[in-house]
Amino acid sequence: MNFRLLTLTTLTAAGIAGSAFAADTVKLGYQLPLTGDTAQYGQDFRKAAEIALTEFNAAGKPFKVEIVFEDSRSDAKEGTNIARKFVDDKEIVGVLGDFTSGVSMAAAQVYKDAGMPQLSQTASHPDYTKISKYQFRNIATQAQEGPYNAKWMATKGFKNVAVIAEQTDWGQSVVSGFSDAVKANGGTVAFSEFFNRGLKDYRSLISKIERAKPDAIYTGFFYEDGAQFLKQLQQLGIKTPVYSTSAAYSPKLIELAGGAAEGVHLTSNFLPTDPSPNVQHFVDEWKKRSDGAVPGQFPAQAYDAVRIMLAAVEKASPNPTREKVRDALAQTKDFPGVTGKTSFSADREAEKELVKVEVKGGAFVPVAD
Amino acid sequence: MNAFENAAPADGLTRRRGLLVPALILLLVFAALPALLAGFDKGYFYQIANLALIFVLLSASMHLVTGVAGLLHLGHAAFYGVGAYTAALLTSKLGLGFTVTLPLSGLVAALVAFLVALPTMRLVSIYFAVATLAIGQMLYLVMLNWVDFTKGPNGVIVSKGFELFGFSLSGRLGAYYTVAAVVTLSVIAIGRLSHSYYGNALRSIREDDQCADAMGVSTVRLKMEAFTLSAFFAGIAGSLWAHMTGYISPGDFKFSESILILAMVVVGGLGSLPGAVIGALLLILLPEGLRALGDFRNIMVGLVMFLSILLLPKGLLGEVSALRLVRRQLGAAWRNTGPANGKGEGIGWR
Repeated sequence: MNFRLLTLTTLTAAGIAGSAFAADTVKLGYQLPLTGDTAQYGQDFRKAAEIALTEFNAAGKPFKVEIVFEDSRSDAKEGTNIARKFVDDKEIVGVLGDFTSGVSMAAAQVYKDAGMPQLSQTASHPDYTKISKYQFRNIATQAQEGPYNAKWMATKGFKNVAVIAEQTDWGQSVVSGFSDAVKANGGTVAFSEFFNRGLKDYRSLISKIERAKPDAIYTGFFYEDGAQFLKQLQQLGIKTPVYSTSAAYSPKLIELAGGAAEGVHLTSNFLPTDPSPNVQHFVDEWKKRSDGAVPGQFPAQAYDAVRIMLAAVEKASPNPTREKVRDALAQTKDFPGVTGKTSFSADREAEKELVKVEVKGGAFVPVAD
Repeated sequence: MNAFENAAPADGLTRRRGLLVPALILLLVFAALPALLAGFDKGYFYQIANLALIFVLLSASMHLVTGVAGLLHLGHAAFYGVGAYTAALLTSKLGLGFTVTLPLSGLVAALVAFLVALPTMRLVSIYFAVATLAIGQMLYLVMLNWVDFTKGPNGVIVSKGFELFGFSLSGRLGAYYTVAAVVTLSVIAIGRLSHSYYGNALRSIREDDQCADAMGVSTVRLKMEAFTLSAFFAGIAGSLWAHMTGYISPGDFKFSESILILAMVVVGGLGSLPGAVIGALLLILLPEGLRALGDFRNIMVGLVMFLSILLLPKGLLGEVSALRLVRRQLGAAWRNTGPANGKGEGIGWR
């Protein structure tokens, strides 16, 4: 009995000590691929998160925040392991990540049961936010971007379009989101096909597209695949206009595709050339840490995601809990980020402003239409 | 029964000693480990334990075909995937529970394995390995691209956890005991298969299939059976994974997973079931244990694998050297069997 009492007191004391510590430092988890096939994205996210975190901790807030980074290798096994680990750590009040929808959704099953708020900077699977009230994302979904681009192309007079996208959950949503809108606007989808990520030879796909004689091609790819596709399109001498999504918006697209990227139209919600001070501050910080390279769309989304999470933690303090952070996240409205103003809708989707961009003279240039 | 009782006293001592280790392992898996897990009460440890057990089963099932029968199998993860998808689709489309999906996952994986094995079983050595690679890719691409049926890259949410005849086992300890029981029973079955006359017949194929054939061993049929059985157990593992994570997508079953399982069998030692088990534990627990090393952990895991193959070519407990097996498998393509063979020298099929 005495022993039990002793244990109980010790535990309580430890608990008090723990919460006293928590009052000074709040912990967040970030699961992301730091190694493996998609490591380049994870490394960028970490860099962006570190910029956001350094700023936050230097701002003289009543508490400090610590982010625990864990490498998921974009592998669902590792992703769920990390999720369990984060949930076990009682000090962690919110989680960022993962990169791919697959891993984010596998981890989400754990966060759902544990009541841990999860904010992914990139998970675009239509069902991700439907898993539970704890899943948020800071990326414009294709249900939003597809109709926007369809309208843009319709105003340019492209009635008959071809659609291609990578064979991923995101690619699926690119095609469905866009095609439905094209048909609703009275246009036709002449051709639609999926390709596997990392495809090297697009020539057969391109000739199939050309056989369908579309007015324009709408594409769902990331910069690596995009650069390959555009180069081969140029080599085959095809002049059909190409439109793409914000996922292809990366300086590396122009770097890899060179002149072949010229004239590509795409949407974005982040412009490194935007003169507003917060964007310029982020771009400067990014350049300092990456040998002068300019950040793309995804690091900007990660930067904003971390800042949205930090703002939610601040709102939930003192003594933030997972539940309080979730509620604070859900209330996010017109958050002034580098990717424009972000609000979360009732179903925890990020509502973002989109910008039209064209590649001109080796740079992304915003266009009015 | 009588014969057994008569035989028992003769080697009673060795028999008793032989039972000591399995008894200790059972005690560890079903008493010590759960007690420890409950003591720590960390979801993370439960997760790692369950994941390690699932890979023990995958590694053990591959042991049967690669370790014992000596067939280099490069597409094992696909059958794991077939099992997982069977469980997931039966749950999401028909609302069936784990009690039904578990055996069905194994059976469907075995059926698929049997069908694809029909045309490939006549292949030998490296040609067989390449065929299994192709089978693995083929099944992976079906999971990825048959969007109407498998939901393709969108993956499938498995809404039901573990249960037995409607009795829920989805708590932490319940899930652990379910996984542990299924894996233990399967590993015992695989152990009985590989340590028997049957296992020895499979070993004879590994050592020299032509000789085995000449001795009257039906090599094609045995290979087929080993391949199908191994897929059955991989399917069982798939069902465990699907119900454990609650969400599966084709990425969980790609080629790198096949290689991971193969690495487990090789590091543990080809032909040894305890080796396959230890290999699986090592390659699941090591990367998790090394998380503190950050970006360097994969280098460390790679180093351990490299050193183990360099210093322990037979693996930890293996019967045959992995290098020797691979060399023979690869070499068979160029082997000049001479005029005595009459026809088809160095050809990759029989």
